[in-house]
Amino acid sequence: MTRYGGLGRTRPKKLTSKASIPIVREEDIDVIDDELQSTLQQIETGVEKAEESEFHLQVAINATAKGNVNAAHIPTPETILSNLQYDQLYPPLFSQPATYIRFSSTVEDCCGCPYNMNEEDDVFLKIFNQKRDPSTRCSEDDFEATMNFFEETAEAKQPYAAVDSPPVLAFADMEEAMDAAVEQCVKRFAKDIYEHWKSQRVAAGNRPLGASLKFETGQDTDDSDPWVCFRRREVRQIRKTRGRDAQSAEKLRRLRKELEDARQLVALVRQREVARKEMLSMERHLFLQRSEVKDMKRKLNIKDDDEDLINQKPKKKQPEMPARQPSAPQIRMPLKAGLQGADDMTLWEDTQAEKENEIMRDIKQNIAKHIKWNEGFVDHTRAPLSPSPERTFDTAAFRPAFTAQLPTPPSSDASGDAMDTALDVTSPLSGRDKFASRAMELHEEPSRIPSFRRRMGRGGRLMIDRRNLAARCKIDMDPVRADRFKFDQEDSDEESSYDTDGYSIQIMQHRAITMAKVREQAAVAAQAHAQAQAQAQAQAAQAQAQAQAQAQRRLQADQQGNNPGSNPNPAPAVAAPSET
Amino acid sequence: MGVRDSHGEATGTPDPVEKGFATLNTIRIGVKAMVQKDGELRKAEILSIRQRKDGPSFYVHYVDFNKRLDEWVASTRIDLTQEVEWPQPEKADKKKASTSNKAAPSKNPKQQRARADSREISGTPDALGGKNVNVGKASRPSKAGGKENRDALDPGDTIPSEVVSAEGTPKVVDFEDVEMADAQDEKSPAENEVKTASGEVITREEEIERLRTSGSMTQNPTEIHRVRNLTRLQMGKFDVEPWYFSPYPDAFSDVDLVYIDEFCLSYFDNQRAFERHRAKCTLVHPPGNEIYRDENISFFEVDGRRQRTWCRNLCLLSKLFLDHKTLYYDVDPFLFYCMCTRDETGCHLVGYFSKEKDSAEGYNLACILTLPQYQRRGFGRLLIAFSYELSKREGKLGSPEKPLSDLGLLGYRQYWRETLVELLMEPNREAMSENELAVLTSMTEKDVHETLVVFNMLRYHKGNWVIVLTDYVIEEHNKRLDKEKVKGSRRIDPARLQWKPPVFTASSRTWNW
Repeated sequence: MTRYGGLGRTRPKKLTSKASIPIVREEDIDVIDDELQSTLQQIETGVEKAEESEFHLQVAINATAKGNVNAAHIPTPETILSNLQYDQLYPPLFSQPATYIRFSSTVEDCCGCPYNMNEEDDVFLKIFNQKRDPSTRCSEDDFEATMNFFEETAEAKQPYAAVDSPPVLAFADMEEAMDAAVEQCVKRFAKDIYEHWKSQRVAAGNRPLGASLKFETGQDTDDSDPWVCFRRREVRQIRKTRGRDAQSAEKLRRLRKELEDARQLVALVRQREVARKEMLSMERHLFLQRSEVKDMKRKLNIKDDDEDLINQKPKKKQPEMPARQPSAPQIRMPLKAGLQGADDMTLWEDTQAEKENEIMRDIKQNIAKHIKWNEGFVDHTRAPLSPSPERTFDTAAFRPAFTAQLPTPPSSDASGDAMDTALDVTSPLSGRDKFASRAMELHEEPSRIPSFRRRMGRGGRLMIDRRNLAARCKIDMDPVRADRFKFDQEDSDEESSYDTDGYSIQIMQHRAITMAKVREQAAVAAQAHAQAQAQAQAQAAQAQAQAQAQAQRRLQADQQGNNPGSNPNPAPAVAAPSET
Repeated sequence: MGVRDSHGEATGTPDPVEKGFATLNTIRIGVKAMVQKDGELRKAEILSIRQRKDGPSFYVHYVDFNKRLDEWVASTRIDLTQEVEWPQPEKADKKKASTSNKAAPSKNPKQQRARADSREISGTPDALGGKNVNVGKASRPSKAGGKENRDALDPGDTIPSEVVSAEGTPKVVDFEDVEMADAQDEKSPAENEVKTASGEVITREEEIERLRTSGSMTQNPTEIHRVRNLTRLQMGKFDVEPWYFSPYPDAFSDVDLVYIDEFCLSYFDNQRAFERHRAKCTLVHPPGNEIYRDENISFFEVDGRRQRTWCRNLCLLSKLFLDHKTLYYDVDPFLFYCMCTRDETGCHLVGYFSKEKDSAEGYNLACILTLPQYQRRGFGRLLIAFSYELSKREGKLGSPEKPLSDLGLLGYRQYWRETLVELLMEPNREAMSENELAVLTSMTEKDVHETLVVFNMLRYHKGNWVIVLTDYVIEEHNKRLDKEKVKGSRRIDPARLQWKPPVFTASSRTWNW
């Protein structure tokens, strides 16, 4: 405060709000007169600047400052007691509850019918009722309900009546709007009262009959119009981001869909109930007619088998077409007029199969073409960027896999039977005889035998492609039940139930090592066999043939893959995507 | 329209004010004349003119008086013996005056007459000259006493004209300079078109038609805004005179009495409709939860969003008595605390205050009103006290929203003084900081400080600040205690307040409460 008190020129200490100020009586201090004026001017009154100077306010402010409170009077217009019959209008109905009142009904809830009749309505109603006997007279409440119905319907059907001034709503439109929710009395009197309503409405320029406030109309004049009140406030802006936009759009879309679904559901329920009702009434009708027939029969003494009097079981419908595979979706094309049925129709599946065949044929042709083009060329790229298509179909590159008990189980927590361990049997000499028959037992189709291949990727990466892997956990089920789980694997939750990672480094390492050992042994054995064959020339024919085949394949692989590696048993270096 | 701002006048605008003598027929909107008010002459501005059977009457605003004292006066109360001040934009007015007689001939004789009656009537050859002579005489500069002059201005002698100087109204102020130039070149278009403040262009014929049908002289929305639109109000047991404009349906301007239902605050311009409504209405108290009750009064908390109709009705009603209240926006972000007295018919609204659900400025009160029929009985003080009681419950310091009205300022100053003095007078108080006072009263430190200064209680004495309990405040304090002994104390008892500060979620804030 820059107030210089009575103490000469010393600037007063700054007064902070936390500073404790002693309280004294007036007689304890010296009175300094000029203080009064200087202080008063500093304080803002908080009254509008233009009004601060108003005569009565200034008088009052000065009066209180001088300690004369009675002069502080601001004149206001008078109020007087009304000569209205208060007691009749406000009946003494209120009884105060013991606890504090809690109340949430709105004015609309408490005011009954919003239309209130005026003198003109009185005149109309009086004339209207004169012509009628007491039982069919229209009460004031009924009249108001009817008028209100007209007003509400007009408001609903012509919401912009104030702007584009359409003609007064016709009675036909009113009748249209009458649904089950409209009261009986309204329906009864609507026709008679309509003309009165219409004349009132015309007189008012087709504006609502009750005086209403002026709200925004969205026009430019709204802003300066002092009668327009209670505008909607702008919604507080939230920070806009694309993500939030998309999010809310998605939410709205979902909401809309859900509402739509709900609506659909309700509509269907309604449809069902209507149908049920129809059925019941039909049944009742049937019953009545049957009983009539019964009576007649009795009366006329007709005796037959009474077959009409009971409901026959409907005959089973003949299936129109031979049963198809249930999985194929059936799309029924509308029959063309004049065409006779299924004879001329080709089955959907046939067309589909034909198309597929065509595609396959095309592919094969292309492959042949490519091979022809490439004749005489040697592919010197180590790993072609795009797979050469012929090898895609080269099933020979895959070797069948057989289940075998490993010498030492992997040191993981994998349970042995939960995971079939695919063992690369590079030595068919030792392997095939042993397992082939079992494999054939397990899989009816030879092509469905789980198989794999190994290949070298770029930078010498070792890759193993698998195909036809059996389900990890094969449980014998009848095909019908198995069919139910056919599409279960798309459920992503399923994956977590495999508690062992088949690709974990440890396990793969283990597998690789054991496989390498087996291969070496097989190679050694094969050599020994060959030597033995050369020397003794007495060897089992089967084993020899297989060893030859093996050797041949190895040779072929070496050439094709351009892989002159020291690997004793190089795999065919085909970079085809695995088919599993 | 700064010209018309009475305050601008008082501070002495550099523009010279054109003065001159006027006659009843040359008086137009914007003129400042001397008008009799409570036995003395006061300068008053004419805001509106209307024709009645017994002559014109003028809606006047007394300079330096509050607008609530604006009123319709008969021509007899205007003192034309003294010079009047013409409204500012002289250029426009002169142009108008000079062109008015050359206006294109009109099919409507009434209209022609109306134009002839406009401003410079004395210079106009008039078909009705015989009657006009009197007026012309009266308008002559006369140093004679006002009495004769007024005698001469017998209302019966004035012409029952339909329109008085419509084109001379300050509407022309809205013309841009360019438009003015145009208007001077080709006079008739400007003559025939009047631009209202809303930017709407209406032709002269239309305007006159409108004037005739609506019966009000003011077409300019800002003018309508300044003229009270309701004449009288019937509410409960009382007939109340409105103070200010309120945007009730515009049809209500034409009726003498508007009926307000005391409980649901619905409004009617027709007694029969009002009676029918009363027969159906079942509301007997404000539609909210009672949060306070003592022997005399109850407080109800009403949510603007949930009780939109009721709160709108309340705002329309209170706008009649609060000049600076705005009804521009809807009531959703406010809570309304309504004070009622009870009897066997119900809980009668006595006053209320509104409060923002979330005030950015820390206001604890937005609008406060004691209905006029209950004023000067200490209810306002209770309302203020209650607002601070709520702030105490919230643990916040609060202050009323500005601007205050004149009555609001006095009411608050009294409450602040009494509250502070009461604390300071407590036994064994020897020193207090402003902060302590603020925390104990829930007043802001600023309000505490200013109150102390205004009542000259904060002084610098011998190098130290002291709070002085002046003889005046002690006397007032004792008077109040005595009064309470006689009449019983009217205070808010915090123990009877059943209220927790309502909590609103962020989403309700985002979605308009």
